[in-house]
Amino acid sequence: MFRIRFHGRGGQGMKTASRILGSAFFMAGYEVQDAPRYGAERRGAPIFAYVRAARSTINERGIINHPDLVVVADDTLVGMPAAGVTQGMDENTLLLINSHESAQTWGQRLNTRARILILAAQEEVEDRAELPYIGSRCAAAAAALTRVISREFLIAALNEELAHLNDEVIKGNRDIALVVFDEMATQADLVNEGVQASASDYVRPKWIDLPFERAEISNIAIHAAATSVKVRTGLWRTMRPVINYDKCSGCSWICSTYCPDGAINVRDDGYPEIDYEHCKGCLICVAQCPPHAIESIAEQVARGQENGATP
Amino acid sequence: MSKQSTVHFHRMKDMPSTHLLGTGTPMCAGCGGLETLHTLYDILGDKTVFVNAAGCMTLLSVYPFTPFRGGWLYTAMASAPAGAQGVRDAVDILLQKKKLSADENVEVVVITGDGAAYGMGMSATSGAMDRNLDFIYLCYDNEGYGNTGQQYSAATPHAAITSTSKGSHGYPGYKKDLFSIWAAHSPAYVATVIAAEPLDLAKKVEKLQSMTGPRMLISLAPCPPGWDYDAQLSVEIGRLAVQTGVWPLKEFIDGEVRHTKVPKQRKPVEDYLQLQGRFRHLFAPRRDATGIAEIQARVDDYWALAATK
Repeated sequence: MFRIRFHGRGGQGMKTASRILGSAFFMAGYEVQDAPRYGAERRGAPIFAYVRAARSTINERGIINHPDLVVVADDTLVGMPAAGVTQGMDENTLLLINSHESAQTWGQRLNTRARILILAAQEEVEDRAELPYIGSRCAAAAAALTRVISREFLIAALNEELAHLNDEVIKGNRDIALVVFDEMATQADLVNEGVQASASDYVRPKWIDLPFERAEISNIAIHAAATSVKVRTGLWRTMRPVINYDKCSGCSWICSTYCPDGAINVRDDGYPEIDYEHCKGCLICVAQCPPHAIESIAEQVARGQENGATP
Repeated sequence: MSKQSTVHFHRMKDMPSTHLLGTGTPMCAGCGGLETLHTLYDILGDKTVFVNAAGCMTLLSVYPFTPFRGGWLYTAMASAPAGAQGVRDAVDILLQKKKLSADENVEVVVITGDGAAYGMGMSATSGAMDRNLDFIYLCYDNEGYGNTGQQYSAATPHAAITSTSKGSHGYPGYKKDLFSIWAAHSPAYVATVIAAEPLDLAKKVEKLQSMTGPRMLISLAPCPPGWDYDAQLSVEIGRLAVQTGVWPLKEFIDGEVRHTKVPKQRKPVEDYLQLQGRFRHLFAPRRDATGIAEIQARVDDYWALAATK
């Protein structure tokens, strides 16, 4: 059975990628499961989708814990624990990263036993949430690396899953997917199909059994106010608003009022300050600031500058 | 509860500069509904209990996280006003029995999306108004079932593409006039608001704080994923909804409807429509002059009728 996980950000098309791959597998005669997994997170937030495909009935359910192939659409997610990219990877896993950097670099960074392949990133886009065609590229790469899906089935699956889009967009997706498919079809490193586990092989995890507690103990009432601040929605951001205090008129109330998340505070000196732990990067402040004192820069560039500035 | 309040929101500078609603909520970046809620909450203060019907904002409080500083109750989609009745009654009994002091009294605030407000929650809302329940109701209207992928609702405007109205002409129906339906019950207060006009919103919240009984707000809530536009345009699109006359800002008090912000020179509706992917089919591949003219005519008719009253 093939177990394949796609990692990306909300908006990059990972759900569509899993659907395209799932449909292509189905056309090739496989039993298929495909499902996206996102909790309460939204555009820009780390999400994943997964596909299981086998020649026989699939009894496994739920998320894939031991993937045979992990496809990463956005390499900024790899080092983010919340994204769970490396979860369950072992020497059998093939990790495919859409990146400008080399497999060797990623190998050193991750210190993983998994085999690493690079899906050469296209030109950098400013806003990572807008990576063009990335869903189709990821689906095509995964299809090629399994070696059991033909070009024809990939095309048919793309046409089916993208049918709601206009012909030009579908053609754009198809063309770019086939380039990736052909490129990956020559790769020597392939996905190793994992064995289907049977229920009788199930090994109980080394859990610690806890006695069943009454609700007031297991689900304690929380009286603390505004605990949501513990959730760092700043990780969703693909673009970062930056205040140029030379231009800021200190009116404060405009950006701070319009920010839906209340992530712009007014400092004691009357100037606004952006809370990057929580700013989701909607950029309403950039659009609304009367003296245009807030500009947006790509998050990966901003982080690069921060890292460069740190000795 | 002392319900004294003086309107003091005249300029942007009067808006609260500290915010009560916690950051870190799972609402989408650029959410027009969250923008309204945070302004409402800043003005109402933390002596509030929110009663939340199923919808996008259900996700605000996912244990153990909450952006609120007080209570929050989750109800089924159709029954938030019934939940509010229970909370109100419980608080009133505690006050009566002196188990709560007068300054511990709370304002009960229902928040629901348009799916609940315009559709399946209408009967519970109607009942609450019949009983003259003392509560505030905020409907964040993003014109579709946004939390599940923007299927059409009774609030979806004509011609909008939704995930269940994908044809070349979009949604064939027309947006339900919830303001009039609510006003027909003669509650204490009904108003339309939008976060892109924070002063108008703040003044209305100030006003309803001095009242008792059902106080009803419908906020148009621009929705980046549901309406298909770049999140940074949320305020711009909201303002255009008012300037084009698509979203009239008005209030109902004592049997009278009054417009609180009448656009002097209404902009053409296409200024509002063309920024949103859900109306793109009206402009590309060919301009649908008839379709745009029909939407414009309905807006013109509304304002022509409003002028005669």
